[in-house]
Amino acid sequence: MDDIDAMFSDLLGEMDLLTQSLGQETEPPERLPSTRQEINFSVGLTGLNASLHDLEDNDLDALMADLVADLNETEKKLEAEIQGLHAPPSSSSDLPPPPKGLGVQPASSITSPPSPGNNRSSSVTTQSPSTSSPLPPPPLQSSKPTMEEIEAQMKADKIKLALEKLKEAKVKKLVVKVVMNDGSSKTLMVDERQTVREVLNNLFEKTHCDCNVDWSLCETNHELQLERTFEDHENLVEPLLAWTRDSENKVLFQERKDKFEVFKNPQNFYLWKKDKKTLKDMKDKDKELLVQENFCGTSIIVPDLEGVLHLKEDGKKSWKQRLFQLRASGIYYVPKGKTKSSRDLICFVQFDNVNVYYGKDVKNRYKAPTDFCFVLKHPQIQKESQYIKYLCCDDAWTMKLWVTGIRIAKYGASLHENFKTAERKAAVSAAVWTNRSTPSSSSPSTPSPTIRAKTATQANGHAPKPQPGPQHQGIGNLPAPPPLNEILPPPPPDPVLPPPPPSLASKPPLSNFPPPPPSMDSLPPPPPPPPMDNFSEDPPDFLPPPPLPTSYSSLPPPPPPAPAANFGRNINKSLPPPAPEFLPPPPPDPVFVASGAPPPPPPPPPPAAVSAPRPAASLKKMPPAPPKRTTPMQQGGGGGGGGGDFMSELMSAMRKRTDQ
Amino acid sequence: MAAWDLSVKVEDLGPDAPPVTISVASDLHVGGVIIKLVEKTQMQRDWSDHALWWDQKQRWLLRTAWTLEKYGIHADARLLFMPQHKPLKLGLPNGKTVMLKACFSNPVFQTVMGICRMLNIRHPEELSLLRPVEEKKKKKDKDLTEEIYDLTEVPLSSVSRPCLYNGMPAHFADSEQMEGVYKMLSVTQPPPAPEVIAKQYRPASVVDKSHIHGRWLDSSRCLMQQSIQENDRLWLRFKYYSFYDIEPKYDVVRLTQLYEQARWAILLEDIDCTEEEMMLFGALQYHINKVASSEPQMMSSNAALDDLESALQSLEVKMEGDSSSASDLLKIFLMKPSDATLHFRPKRLTLKGYKQYWFKFQDTSISYFKSKEESIGEPIQQINLKGCEVAPDVNVAAQKFLIRLLIPAPEGMNEVYLRCENEQQYAQWMAGCRLASKGKSLADSSFQSEIQSIRSFLAMQKTNSGSSNNSAASDESINTHSLVSPRYHKKYKPKQLTPRILDAYQNVAQLSLTDALMRFLQIWQALPDFGLSYVVVRFKGSRKDEVLGIAPNRLIRIDLGVGDVVKTWRYNNMKQWNVNWDIKQMAIEFEGNVNIAFGCVTADCKIVHEFIGGYIFMSTRSREKSDTLNEELFHKLTGGHEAL
Repeated sequence: MDDIDAMFSDLLGEMDLLTQSLGQETEPPERLPSTRQEINFSVGLTGLNASLHDLEDNDLDALMADLVADLNETEKKLEAEIQGLHAPPSSSSDLPPPPKGLGVQPASSITSPPSPGNNRSSSVTTQSPSTSSPLPPPPLQSSKPTMEEIEAQMKADKIKLALEKLKEAKVKKLVVKVVMNDGSSKTLMVDERQTVREVLNNLFEKTHCDCNVDWSLCETNHELQLERTFEDHENLVEPLLAWTRDSENKVLFQERKDKFEVFKNPQNFYLWKKDKKTLKDMKDKDKELLVQENFCGTSIIVPDLEGVLHLKEDGKKSWKQRLFQLRASGIYYVPKGKTKSSRDLICFVQFDNVNVYYGKDVKNRYKAPTDFCFVLKHPQIQKESQYIKYLCCDDAWTMKLWVTGIRIAKYGASLHENFKTAERKAAVSAAVWTNRSTPSSSSPSTPSPTIRAKTATQANGHAPKPQPGPQHQGIGNLPAPPPLNEILPPPPPDPVLPPPPPSLASKPPLSNFPPPPPSMDSLPPPPPPPPMDNFSEDPPDFLPPPPLPTSYSSLPPPPPPAPAANFGRNINKSLPPPAPEFLPPPPPDPVFVASGAPPPPPPPPPPAAVSAPRPAASLKKMPPAPPKRTTPMQQGGGGGGGGGDFMSELMSAMRKRTDQ
Repeated sequence: MAAWDLSVKVEDLGPDAPPVTISVASDLHVGGVIIKLVEKTQMQRDWSDHALWWDQKQRWLLRTAWTLEKYGIHADARLLFMPQHKPLKLGLPNGKTVMLKACFSNPVFQTVMGICRMLNIRHPEELSLLRPVEEKKKKKDKDLTEEIYDLTEVPLSSVSRPCLYNGMPAHFADSEQMEGVYKMLSVTQPPPAPEVIAKQYRPASVVDKSHIHGRWLDSSRCLMQQSIQENDRLWLRFKYYSFYDIEPKYDVVRLTQLYEQARWAILLEDIDCTEEEMMLFGALQYHINKVASSEPQMMSSNAALDDLESALQSLEVKMEGDSSSASDLLKIFLMKPSDATLHFRPKRLTLKGYKQYWFKFQDTSISYFKSKEESIGEPIQQINLKGCEVAPDVNVAAQKFLIRLLIPAPEGMNEVYLRCENEQQYAQWMAGCRLASKGKSLADSSFQSEIQSIRSFLAMQKTNSGSSNNSAASDESINTHSLVSPRYHKKYKPKQLTPRILDAYQNVAQLSLTDALMRFLQIWQALPDFGLSYVVVRFKGSRKDEVLGIAPNRLIRIDLGVGDVVKTWRYNNMKQWNVNWDIKQMAIEFEGNVNIAFGCVTADCKIVHEFIGGYIFMSTRSREKSDTLNEELFHKLTGGHEAL
């Protein structure tokens, strides 16, 4: 194990160096040497992967130990209940390369081909993301031709990398125990940038539930007997950090009808004064209109709520009745002897610094007039305090009205956004099961840096990191590639196929190839687009397909035809000329693509240049072949993905060797 | 056919000139009449905008192909030959007056479209014209000096398609004077002096508010038909509170005028709000004024910095934040040790009073020590300010500079007071606390501006303490009474108001101009009474007057005795509505066999009818994608029998 660890960190270190030197991979020739190194690495990695699984537990234990030791320093932040594990920055620091999330993908991708077990390892190594990025570096050498632009670009990339490292190093992570409906619990790692929505998506993966919009994460406060549903856009870690160390608070994974009830039956909240029957018979069209009116205008409209509530006076035991009014700016009450006119209202509370909770068992605990109680308090308050405000309603329905109204006033448009996102997720998961797996596996790498963007799809990406079901990943990865191809028709792959033969013949020759790359430059346009696509969508995962081709490299032709006809079409459109016939020149390309993908788009052209004349003739016939390549290429296009591709190829090659 | 004499008064000949008489036959068409007229006057000029107005029938003879017979014109007809576009004094939502040529011959709806095109306001269907509230004679003397922005020279043809030039329509780019007009239109006005607010008419009740709505002009008839004369004064206002597709990039004037209308509605208590809301409105006005005056180029929000640059910047900030910047403040303190000693009192009613400690700011925490010498070691206590409430307790005259901190902890909130020695120290520590409460360190770029705004508020307190100091509202010394309604002039002195507005200000201080305007409008629109236009009505079968509130999506019935909403009807449940023009009664049928009928007391039936139809028209807009206004539909919905 130690050896493996050492190897691994060495590898990471190297990769880091490589990344630093990464420029544009425009130069194909250099790749070969790099590939070799990579191969060695890859061997190490595979071994690692196999053992990673074992490592996980040990590591966790170690982490725990560290944590305990560190408690004095980091104190407060960790909850026993939560099992607050800091994905210690230390662990990350160990992995020199922390740089990009992209790195993570490569690791996972590599692992994926060999065995599902790898997935686990990837989850453990969350911090290592950098690995993938390093792979592409080989191209750097090619930098010989370097242009000033490229240098500038490199600088920029380095700065970005550095920034991301800085950020990454500071990210807090908690291991959270989530209590399921049936009382069992699941444990997952949550980093502080993750929203509740992202965590929910992870849980969906783990639990195979139906993903309907009502699934929620709830927080219970044992000491105060409070409960609230986290909003999907909130960050999960922050509120958990407010828990005291010895608290018995829990995070529950439940279906909560009231979470988005206002969007399903807006009339119950906005027209609550009408009689029950009208509300029940409300037409869908009118419901839609209500949501439209109140949530889609320039301003969010808060339901018009007013009524007598029982208020527990600050720190006293008695309850007092007051006429309260809900407004967008807060809750107000009508002072004794005054009218209800706005200007006479006294502000009871504004929502900036408080959250709304449901109170439980208030009749017993506080001699409340009813048990329908909602509570307003600063999220950091965890124990009895005069700063907690208790309000009692006459019935459960009124309480729901108020709590929902307050949420609308406090969160505004975010609520509606959350609902739409949840709806989309529910629809997608209902429709296609496979879709889920793909995005999730791929996303991890890119997402970490960009997490903030929070798209529904991205959210999934996170899942893989933690400990999301490895099984899914394994499955997902394989199927995933095809879709990717569609997304990334990038032509480069075609050329790639041809190259294998030469490369196989000898690495040195490849190095000679450098000239082709320059020519490539002229052609750069086509390749770049694909990378972009990859990034946004799902970059790394497909690795599996590519490796095969590489291993076959000596047998270039066979793999290509197999690929889906679709791919071929795409390819043809984008890069008709490169037709398969030329195969020889292209080999470098694939590599280029991979490396180049991240920063600049230059790579694709090389093959074209070489074969330029021929392509026209052969093109028509060849189309089918290119498709296969494309798939792998896509990965490359992704940038991070490219690295992954390479890796996977290496992996397969390695395997072959070992097998033999 | 027999020829007869038709006499026509030609306006261009002067008021006293005798009518021009021409010989016509009944089968002569109107175009022919005009040609004869022009020949007879012997005047050389552009007559293209001229048309005939038939005084007795109060109508324009715009169909030049129609014969006199078809129009039913005989020798006794009093005809007037005059231009269709005439100058009009238009009071804008921002209180300024422009003079421009408006169309007197088309329905007011089109006239407003023309005006809005000239002023560069999109979605003219939301605006309309109304007769102004008469001002008292006395004031008129003063008002003679009122500045009028003249747009009458703008050729009508040039306005047709507003192409932007320097960010404004081409016709505003012609001269400096015109640019000045555009600036008036597109830049918010400084806060008015408190006396100006106090002097203005303020509706005291719902019934008062309902009177203003009797003044709207009829959209389906032209200005001439509504006895509006050349050079008359009218107000241009947003009438329908359903603002479609506000796009700051294209809606500079629209947004500005909307803000002005909202601001005045707040200041004059045309719409009610709570004290907290008033303070926020005040803070936003202050901020908007400050930002607008500091960046005259208006609205041009810098395109996001390019990726690398912003990355570099944040890197810089990061670096500073991690090392040097936290000690930035410290440096100051070290040079002037007295600066760093703050007085500290854990709880308000402790008898002990304040004790002096050495304080240090680090990231989002403050730590304190017995003395400066011990500040290298362990602090007595360290307090993390993230998520805490920060409130000022300041009296400049008494040299009291207190910062009140309400710090959340698991056990509740801890109340802590920091007493600063002087203004300078206070501003820095206050700014630091504010940022820390939002989780930002002193390294944050907003630190300096935060200090600056705290200082300027302190300055306001100073200048205001000299009682009625109504110097023009310059940036540094705004009288806070300019930002709130007169009710609060009585309730609070400016120096009492200042800290409250400052308090609200900290939540909006970082907004860009556009965002601040939008925020103002959002809060305005979120008020419960937003968008209600009141009319006093008498429901069928009822013996007392009641108030009908017309909102963008519903009608409400308000009991005057209680002031409460008795009933709400939503438009989407409406099946049909009818007007009985003879008895001036409106009848509306809703789904579920709900029928209501009422007569209008404070406004013409047509106005109420138009309001309802207008809102229904507004709600159809979102569905049709095209940019062109469906004028026909508008008239169909609002015109009543006259439209047909």
